[in-house]
Amino acid sequence: MEIFIAQVINGLSLGSIYVLLVTGFNLLLLVAMIIHFSFPVVVVFSMYIAWIVLGLTGNNIFLGVTAGILSAILFNIITAPMFQHIMKKRGEVDINSTMVLSMGLGMIITDFLSHSINSGFPIAFPDNLTGRAEGAFLKFGLISMSRGAFLALTVGVVFVSGLFWLLYKTKQGRAFRAIAEDPNGAKLVGLPILKTGLQSYALTGFLGGSTAILMAILLGSASPGLGDQLGHKVLAVSIIAGLGNLKGGLIVGLALGILEALVQGYWTGTWSNAIAFVIMLIAILVKPKGIFGMKL
Amino acid sequence: MAQNKPAGTTILEVKELSVSYGHVNALKSVNIEVCKGEIVVLIGANGAGKTSLMETILGVNEVDSGAIIFEGKEITKKSADKIVRSGIFLVPEGRGVFSSMTVTDNLLLGAHHNLKGSKEKMDYVFSSFPILGERKGQVAGTLSGGERQMLAIARALMSSPKMILVDEPSIGLAPKIVNDIFDILIKLNKEGYSILLSEQNVYKALKCAHRGYVMETGKILLSGSSEELLNNSEIRKAYLGA
Amino acid sequence: MSLPLYYYLAIASIYILMTWALYLPYRVAHLHFMVVANMAISGYFGGYAATQWGWSFGAALLAGMLIGAILSWLVSFGIGDAPTFAVVIVGFTFIYITKTTIENWDAVGGTMGMFGIPMVKNLLLYAYIFVVITGFFIYRFDHSRLGRAASAMFVDKDLAISFGVNTKHLGMFLQTWAGAIGGVCGVFYAFFMNSLFPDFFTFQIIGTTMTMLFLGGYTTMWGPLLAAPLLWGLPLILPTEIASWRQIIYGVILIVILLLRPEGVVTRQLIRKIQVKLKLIKVA
Repeated sequence: MEIFIAQVINGLSLGSIYVLLVTGFNLLLLVAMIIHFSFPVVVVFSMYIAWIVLGLTGNNIFLGVTAGILSAILFNIITAPMFQHIMKKRGEVDINSTMVLSMGLGMIITDFLSHSINSGFPIAFPDNLTGRAEGAFLKFGLISMSRGAFLALTVGVVFVSGLFWLLYKTKQGRAFRAIAEDPNGAKLVGLPILKTGLQSYALTGFLGGSTAILMAILLGSASPGLGDQLGHKVLAVSIIAGLGNLKGGLIVGLALGILEALVQGYWTGTWSNAIAFVIMLIAILVKPKGIFGMKL
Repeated sequence: MAQNKPAGTTILEVKELSVSYGHVNALKSVNIEVCKGEIVVLIGANGAGKTSLMETILGVNEVDSGAIIFEGKEITKKSADKIVRSGIFLVPEGRGVFSSMTVTDNLLLGAHHNLKGSKEKMDYVFSSFPILGERKGQVAGTLSGGERQMLAIARALMSSPKMILVDEPSIGLAPKIVNDIFDILIKLNKEGYSILLSEQNVYKALKCAHRGYVMETGKILLSGSSEELLNNSEIRKAYLGA
Repeated sequence: MSLPLYYYLAIASIYILMTWALYLPYRVAHLHFMVVANMAISGYFGGYAATQWGWSFGAALLAGMLIGAILSWLVSFGIGDAPTFAVVIVGFTFIYITKTTIENWDAVGGTMGMFGIPMVKNLLLYAYIFVVITGFFIYRFDHSRLGRAASAMFVDKDLAISFGVNTKHLGMFLQTWAGAIGGVCGVFYAFFMNSLFPDFFTFQIIGTTMTMLFLGGYTTMWGPLLAAPLLWGLPLILPTEIASWRQIIYGVILIVILLLRPEGVVTRQLIRKIQVKLKLIKVA
């Protein structure tokens, strides 16, 4: 029984990461109106930047974390004009083109990471960041939680709550929701669509960068293929929950985390991943518009 | 038809405005004027260009040629959010309220550019529209058509506009509610808001407006005081069935 | 024929077909990446059938085509009408599951690969015959009522539905056809290379074929025909250090074309212009 609970807690930590990634993705979808397919790849890119800075500064955690988060924000803001540009091209919003653009960016990042950083070998994060050497961070009887898992869970809770607070209690959040519901109507009441869109890029950059740090702590390592793997799962989660459905993303993200943790706990090997994918595949085929409905 | 020279200072001037969507000419050399404190109505059938004109004034469409001047300053090339900040607010066709957001949130969106004093403004709005006060926590999608129209108007007030554009407020509303809405517009006008109104309900609109313009296929056909237009035989035939 | 040239032409034919396999569902805005999984599955099946059961190339080819078609057809019941995004994810997931299965299945060689697939005389000829036949049918499709329906569906799905287009059936048809082509590509590839490795069927093929489709132009079949051999040949003539950056080069090309000329190089207007110049059609 305790193993079960331990796995569930691990699953919640992993699930928090998925939730953060899905939420960032959904925000970009709802407010910037793009399908940033490779958003998780950008997050992994930030992990690498953090790793590089850690290496250059003698494992200075503050600098490493800052670099990771800043790089994500910057990358988003720099690529924002590209997305805006191709959205305008067809007169109406051409969302599929944004997906292809995002995939192109992902291709470039992944190949760059495979070629140029650490010769494509996986990178490992220093112990002072991951807290690996300390052993378990928290212990309840036989249940223990690593520092990474603890942070992922708490930061996940804080950020998601913070996000919902932002969305429902602030001026920015109101603008985000209005644009998400009706971009045309939002324009007609004088909401600055462009500026708000850019804000969503910055916000999701921050979200992504933070998630990168959390993953560095939780997983302790990264590889060029991680972005694609993660991306695949995150996107499947968002489809199953329903594109743009924030609350749905929360539920399905956590569910996937728990599912994976349980499967990994009782079944080892790459089959565990495959099983998760098969379940997701079935879910998509049965309900291509998502369990909780699309907000698109 | 005799052109009626408007009295008082002009708050909005539209000069030779032409707008096209792709190959379709939505507006062709449109000239209208609104004076401070007036209610001016745009009359015309569907597709006559009333909504296009309003949205262009608001800065949503690209102008082919012509100019829009508000309070003496040209706003033709400005973006919608800047124009709203200058003091024009649109009550869109179909209300345009955000159904998934609460009444309060919808109202706050109206004050997006200047949240200072929004509490007082909301109190004022709730005293003018008590029903909205009762429903302030409710999601806008649960409001009736008339309530939504009130919400859309109240939202406009939250931006402390100098001029309100109201696009077809009577659509889909029961006659009694339509009367209420027009009463509200007249009351607001008396409080000092200039109103440009587009309507298919010609009789009611002309009854509450000072002046009107008749539009057809993107052009201004006729203009005059509301009395002149009400007595105009062509208008009576075309729109009033007399 | 020299070996490099043979190799170039062989893989070029496969890329042309794979890009066409991507082109067809994209006529209705579906990025049906599952065709890569079809390629892997049929390729492995064909290779296995030839090495273990002694099947002839022809039989393997036919089986591969059918397997590809049937698999895509079955999956299309779920995604024939789905948003593009869902189609993409299903494709990715299938590729992942296929790859994992192959890697863990010793009978088909696992991660070590499958070897000893027999050589076939005139394989290159057969490949290009298939290219011509497929091109012919795509041409017929594009210039038919169905092709026009697809174009309408691409621009405005709801409008197309109101015109009586059965969007689900059209989507299923195109996905099934694409799956068949994918399967054929797999078998050709297996017999060209005489070996198969799961490493080949990665997301890199997706990136490459997608770039070919968008660079060439996704509104006509001539775009892919032009872009595939070009983009495939490019890294072969560049010095090896630069060529290893292939994926980044493709990514950059993809982004540039999206920003500058999103419909691709070969557009319908361009074709009309050429036809007018060559006096193939009369100008009113």
